Amino acid sequence: MNGKAKRQPSLPIWPRAHPPFVRAMLAGHSALGLAFAALIFLVCFSGSIAVFAPDLGDWEQAAPNVVYSGPLDGEHISTIVQNGRKLAPWAEDASITLPSKTDRHLSLLLSPDLKDKAHEPKRWYADSAGRLAEVTAQAPFTGFIAGLHTSLHLEGGVGGFIVGAAGVALLSSLISGLFSHPRVFRDAFNLRLGGHKRLQEVDIHNRLGVWALPFHILISLSGALLGLTILIVGILALAVFKGDTQKAYALFSGPHPVEDLRPAPVPDFQVILADIKIRAPQGQVAYIMVEHVGTVGADVNVNVTTPTHASRGETYVYDRAGKYYGAWGNETGTLGQRIYMVLAPLHFGSYGGWPVKIAYFLLGLSLTSVTSSGVAIWLARRRDKGRPAPRFERLWTATVWSQPFAYAVSGIYALLAHPADDDQIIPIWASVTALSFLMTLFMPPVRLSLILRGLAVAGLLALVGVHMREVLLPALSGAQATTMMWGGDIVMIAAAVLLAISMKPNIVTGVHRISHNQHRERL
Amino acid sequence: MSDWLDFIPFVPALAGIFVLLLAWKQNDGWRPWRLLVAWALLATALAVGWQALGPVRGIFIGITGISIAAFLAVATNVKIRPAKAVAGRDVALEPSDRKRVAWRGWLRGFLAGPGSGIAAMGVGLMWAVCTPGAPQTRMVIGGLMVPVLWAGGMAWTLSDDKIIRAFLVLLGVSVVSLGAAFLKGTLS
Repeated sequence: MNGKAKRQPSLPIWPRAHPPFVRAMLAGHSALGLAFAALIFLVCFSGSIAVFAPDLGDWEQAAPNVVYSGPLDGEHISTIVQNGRKLAPWAEDASITLPSKTDRHLSLLLSPDLKDKAHEPKRWYADSAGRLAEVTAQAPFTGFIAGLHTSLHLEGGVGGFIVGAAGVALLSSLISGLFSHPRVFRDAFNLRLGGHKRLQEVDIHNRLGVWALPFHILISLSGALLGLTILIVGILALAVFKGDTQKAYALFSGPHPVEDLRPAPVPDFQVILADIKIRAPQGQVAYIMVEHVGTVGADVNVNVTTPTHASRGETYVYDRAGKYYGAWGNETGTLGQRIYMVLAPLHFGSYGGWPVKIAYFLLGLSLTSVTSSGVAIWLARRRDKGRPAPRFERLWTATVWSQPFAYAVSGIYALLAHPADDDQIIPIWASVTALSFLMTLFMPPVRLSLILRGLAVAGLLALVGVHMREVLLPALSGAQATTMMWGGDIVMIAAAVLLAISMKPNIVTGVHRISHNQHRERL
Repeated sequence: MSDWLDFIPFVPALAGIFVLLLAWKQNDGWRPWRLLVAWALLATALAVGWQALGPVRGIFIGITGISIAAFLAVATNVKIRPAKAVAGRDVALEPSDRKRVAWRGWLRGFLAGPGSGIAAMGVGLMWAVCTPGAPQTRMVIGGLMVPVLWAGGMAWTLSDDKIIRAFLVLLGVSVVSLGAAFLKGTLS
């Protein structure tokens, strides 16, 4: 050995990929991203907002100021159900939702038999004395956003399948995106804005995509499975149960008392809740569902959540007399049951408190942004190669920036017209989206983007104004206002301000981040 | 349980990510130690989450916290390029430029969509029907395999230039897996 030892080259942390492999992966990544971009964008954007669905429902409607403040008491629940049955003697099923940290109401929902087309389900809030106040307020705007995310408002499982397929495409894009990114560690914290547009979009796309990858995989995988469940269970039932899907679903529900439709008083909730305290001492009863409520064979399902569990809670089954039949197994059953029962909470972020919801919202928007910047990279690459795609660029601009505006207009319509059904909002949303696409015929992309963002700012502020007039002020005068009502307005004003800031040239927010000169050229 | 407790795993996650940022920025003799400390802190975030918030809940809150912490770290490292900067060596590789042949395009689309979907469904179904264990577990694991395999098949068929090979593999997998599942035909 003579003096200085030759320094060994350090091993790369990320495996070195052969350029032809990376190029092939990039080709697949681009093709897939472009084919599904609009659908993925729509699902991700609606999903980011749908994280707040329960809060949005609270913002949208002024509920009766009836609050249950006493301890959980079986006798009290029996009284509430009895009082409800006097008002709705046709009721076949009853669902009692107990107050929680997110909803201070104790609500009773009575539903008719599936064959009974003469009656509609009715909902009441109950106070500590067992008095009922009917809840007539609806939350169609919330239902519209949630429906757009879960099924695109398409009937018969088709929407769920399309959303599930979008989840698969997204998962596939994440896989091919990771393989086509040879500088994961070298560029791990680089975010270089300005200058060459393509480099800037690549940095945004890759940083958001890589650092949120576990979340993105979780969301796309759980979303794909939730969307494809009907198809997967259908094929499984075809192979195993001669096409009877109910037999497949029955594996995930609990035992049932023998059906006996002879009339009988309401179940003995005192005995049932006393037994629950022994079986789940740490748990909190979330809701009680009673099938065939006024019969001897009433089937009582008590859902109990435990603070340290991510699932939607364990469900315990009793008969009318309070005899315990068993549990569904959501928290104590097989591995499969436990995994299945955490999929939806993990997908929607409902397993945590408000910090998790805010994180889900931000990470959901990051996924939306990754989709958007992916298309922006493709467009910039085409431009660099001298093959610009101006028509596609305009269409993509309309796809992205039509949505905040369309949502704002849909919300205004929901608050003013009080549609009975969230499906009635679809024509409004579709018309605004279509109008935005019409604008692509006579507007360059940057101007289109600015105008749509401006309209979204105006729409959001108008939505806040309409909400104040229609919901907040009447609620304040009736002492029915909740934190979410004014909190939601503040969030929307903040969103409008951020959108307005993004319209300023050289400010690096929004999809079209370009320099001032480029901005002037393209305007 | 107070919602503020959700921040518990975020504290070590934030510390771990910023130590990682430091290791990434300063390539000196301390780098391996910084990397070690950073990954230990990130592991601590998950462990603390598990302990304080529950196993599944805590780990997923920890993972979510790590992503948010990383976004903050990236935001502190923003650099503004001069307006006239050009792509240069920073630009990523170009996607491979395949010859455009109509039938190959259609076949590739079919293989990525229905082709991979049928094969993935077949493997998932075969897993649910033919493996030992509780039926619910087999169904859920088999069900989870479907989107993963479908996505993998999509990524593969869209990037592999040898499209006939992809076609034959997917056809073979579909025939064998669906055949096995329907031949057995029971969950017991």
